[in-house]
Amino acid sequence: MTDTQPDTAPDAGPDTRDEERAEERRHLERREKWIRRLPLLPALLFTIVITQVPFVFSLFYSLTDWKIIPPTPRTFIGFDNFTDLVDNQFFRDAAWVSVVMTASAVLLSLILGTGIALLLDRKFFGQGFVRTLLITPFLVMPVVAGLVWKNQVFSSQYGVINWLLNLVGIDNVEFVTRYPLWSIVIVLVWEWTPFMMLIILAGLQGQPTDVLEAARVDGATNRAIFFQITLPHLKPYLELGTLLGSIYLIQVFDQIEVITGGGPDSSNIPFFVFQRSIGGGWDFGAASAMSIVVVIASIVLANLGLRVLSGLLEGEDPA
Amino acid sequence: MAEVRYEGATRLYEGTEEPAVNALDLDIVDGELLVLVGPSGSGKSTALRMLAGLESVDQGGVYIGGRDVTLVPPKDRDIAMVFQNYALYPQMTVAANMGFALKQQGVPKEERVRQVREAARILDLEPYLDRKPKNLSGGQRQRVAMGRAIVRRPQVFLMDEPLSNLDAKLRVQTRTELADLQARLGVTTVYVTHDQVEAMTMGHRVAVLKDGFLQQVAAPKELYSRPANLFVAGFIGSPAMNLITVPVEDGVASLNDLSLPLPDDVRAEVNRRGLKEIVFGVRPEHLELGQEGTSGEVAVVEELGSEAYVHVRIAHGAETELIVVRVGGETSVTRGDFVNFGVTGANHYFDPDGDRLDAKPVPGAG
Amino acid sequence: MSSDTGLVVGQKRWTSWALGLLAWAVGLLFFFPIFWMVLNGFKEEIDANSSPQLFFDPTLDRYRDVTSETPGLLGFKEAFANSFWIVLISTILVMILAVPAAYSLAIRPVRKWRDVLFFFISTKFLPIVGAILPLWIIARDLDLLNTRTVLIILYTAMNLPLAVWMLRSFFMEVPRELIEAAQIDGAGLRGQLTSVVMPIVAPGLAATALLCVIFAWNEFFLAVQLNPVDGSTMPIWVTSNVSTRGNFLAKLSAASTLATLPVVLAGWVAQKRMIRGLAMGAIK
Ligand SMILES: Nc1ncnc2c1ncn2[C@@H]1O[C@H](COP(=O)(O)OP(=O)(O)OP(=O)(O)O)[C@@H](O)[C@H]1O
Ligand SMILES: [Mg+2]
Repeated sequence: MTDTQPDTAPDAGPDTRDEERAEERRHLERREKWIRRLPLLPALLFTIVITQVPFVFSLFYSLTDWKIIPPTPRTFIGFDNFTDLVDNQFFRDAAWVSVVMTASAVLLSLILGTGIALLLDRKFFGQGFVRTLLITPFLVMPVVAGLVWKNQVFSSQYGVINWLLNLVGIDNVEFVTRYPLWSIVIVLVWEWTPFMMLIILAGLQGQPTDVLEAARVDGATNRAIFFQITLPHLKPYLELGTLLGSIYLIQVFDQIEVITGGGPDSSNIPFFVFQRSIGGGWDFGAASAMSIVVVIASIVLANLGLRVLSGLLEGEDPA
Repeated sequence: MAEVRYEGATRLYEGTEEPAVNALDLDIVDGELLVLVGPSGSGKSTALRMLAGLESVDQGGVYIGGRDVTLVPPKDRDIAMVFQNYALYPQMTVAANMGFALKQQGVPKEERVRQVREAARILDLEPYLDRKPKNLSGGQRQRVAMGRAIVRRPQVFLMDEPLSNLDAKLRVQTRTELADLQARLGVTTVYVTHDQVEAMTMGHRVAVLKDGFLQQVAAPKELYSRPANLFVAGFIGSPAMNLITVPVEDGVASLNDLSLPLPDDVRAEVNRRGLKEIVFGVRPEHLELGQEGTSGEVAVVEELGSEAYVHVRIAHGAETELIVVRVGGETSVTRGDFVNFGVTGANHYFDPDGDRLDAKPVPGAG
Repeated sequence: MSSDTGLVVGQKRWTSWALGLLAWAVGLLFFFPIFWMVLNGFKEEIDANSSPQLFFDPTLDRYRDVTSETPGLLGFKEAFANSFWIVLISTILVMILAVPAAYSLAIRPVRKWRDVLFFFISTKFLPIVGAILPLWIIARDLDLLNTRTVLIILYTAMNLPLAVWMLRSFFMEVPRELIEAAQIDGAGLRGQLTSVVMPIVAPGLAATALLCVIFAWNEFFLAVQLNPVDGSTMPIWVTSNVSTRGNFLAKLSAASTLATLPVVLAGWVAQKRMIRGLAMGAIK
């Protein structure tokens, strides 16, 4: 059959054929590359333009002295805005609130979520219904969550908690005024526990049953099974929960706005930036500097997070 | 229908050092069923997928029916493929699965239905045409995958371990049916398996691959009786050929008490290469228990009913070696017995580096 | 598939009962604030603004109150319509952008797919607050402040990374062999997509879109910064029911219930698949 090659001219030896092919192959590869890239480009460009370009502007604003109301001309002042921040007690408070709020809300909701997921990962009457009840807080509009808790749960006059406290003879406590930060954290935990629970539940249900059975046959106690098999299996899910939770919780704004409306004890950096700029301060230079600080902090956090992520994506290669 | 040709075809996966398929040259004649066999990771699937167009050919080329298809996308190659996991479209019925390719070709509906029915009849799938794949048994799914391939009447069938998900009994049965179907349709077929029994029973010719290199292509009988190198000798045959390194002196190899005078052509080759040791190969059926020969202790007896394999432990230098001897069924030999065995037939001699040492057979013979 | 985590075997029956009961208790506790909100929406103001009571004469008047229009103020109908269009259009845009991108990351991956995916996700790490001032300035200069357009664009950007992330994981679930089989069967890109890929990922698409809807519907920060006036959305309408004078609790509850309902229903329907998309995207 070696001599039946209708496609190739009889005098085209293997060498010329190979060269032709190499040429065409290069051409096809280039085309293929673009075919693969093309579907990505719109999303990529859009994301860059909307999310990255503004940061460049922020960076620029942060180096200027610039108030919009009353309108003052923009003047370049170098890093003054940043050095001012160090002395700014309010900013330091806000930074501290950010840290406490994010860390405690993530941690508490993760622990509670895991506990509840373990409760739900067993057969009992009304399992699906209880799960549906439990995810609802996550679906509720954050603004609504804040308002409901403030006015109907925490409130000293009409709140359910104080009513219960009164029943056992304790005097009214104005929670939101006395404990502004923790009031907000409670609401955040209430909203995010369901989310954590669902992620952990996905992990629990993806747990291979044969391993559990093998462990039981080997005589492991329930405790041992939990700590030595279930928990290690859940690790990536716990990491994912922490990651996604932190991304969202570091940016909390809505609940602060409706529960306390800010104040040194409860406004985190995003809220403080808002207050100093669009929310009435109109000091865009200083506010930009603050937002740059958040961005830098987030980049540090993101790097840690991405390391976790790359651990998660390890070994999974669709190529 | 068409012949298939690989011409120096090479595939180097990104991020790997060695090509998965290395300068493969292979001619497959029209209507042939060629089996690609080899251990795991030897490049069988890669070679098949290069022909399908699912992997790019980095060097050299592939031809189908004389047409250079090296750079042609899969959809224009006019081939059909049966996947190991069948790859049936889950949301389509059996009929839709089988008719999908025809639909892509723009075959009108009535014609499609007719052809699907015809294929379903051949494969006994008619009662299942309206079912979804998930409601079929493994064997039925396998037949649907076959049906999807034959409806097309393609130039070439490509099959990648199509039987490996079936249970042992069904596999043996389907194997025969498949070979029969292929013969009836007369479509050139490239069939990948790692099961050498499947390869030997089905293939018109068998190509053995190892580490991306083609070791030998030959009809099953020749592959068995004249393995081209040590690897093929050890790979083909079950139980495997006994292969044992023995010293050579003056044209005579010796295995303990056995003297094995080498044939002339082997002797010449040994001298030419200046070998002091060679690998001596003999199949279990070419050994015989008796009074003569060398002796050893029986380690295991595998009783298969019609025959039995006796594993004899013999001293070999400082170590021991197991030699497998085939005997008739219901043998009285048991573990722990001391037995003698001798050589009765075809011996194979290899350079320890791998080459077969006797003269090449005349091209075209065999 | 429920893999009992080992709490059951070897446990006495009553422990099992007690744990089930505990689960119910926790579930009801978490749901209570919502239950209470719904309940209060059916009360007279005077009943809502007194010590908590479970039994009362239900009335729909508060719903009538909150949905009635007051000239010059953001009304329910207007806010709902704004939210509806903003959420709908932004979600459609997200899907239009994210589906091809996810396809590119999962099925025919670009060489640096990992980096690209990281980039998308990393944009979620950068707090919006870092961009809000320039966005406000740009929106003001382009005359987009207080328009629906600005929210549509930003909600699209906000949900895009998450959508890409989730869709990629759904696309990853399409067996490679199926696409190869379709290629060999002679299907072009369109045939592969419509006949093989889409039917498999459709439920995942729906779940992703739903999650985008939920986030966009509930979004408050950007709405308050960039569009607090005319073209504004449901969350802002809810807060507008908080008044500094007079009792508003029952009205607020009714408004909150109205604003929350669509998304809660959607979430209930899609709960399982949404989480699978989020969790499986990272963990295989
Ligand atoms: N996508 C890939 N990227 C990199 N290396 C690959 C890829 N696919 C296969 N390989 C490597 O190429 C070699 C040949 O693989 P191939 O799948 O062809 O083997 P095979 O003979 O079909 O084995 P098996 O019997 O296990 O199916 C192996 O070493 C494998 O690791
Ligand atoms: Mg293979």
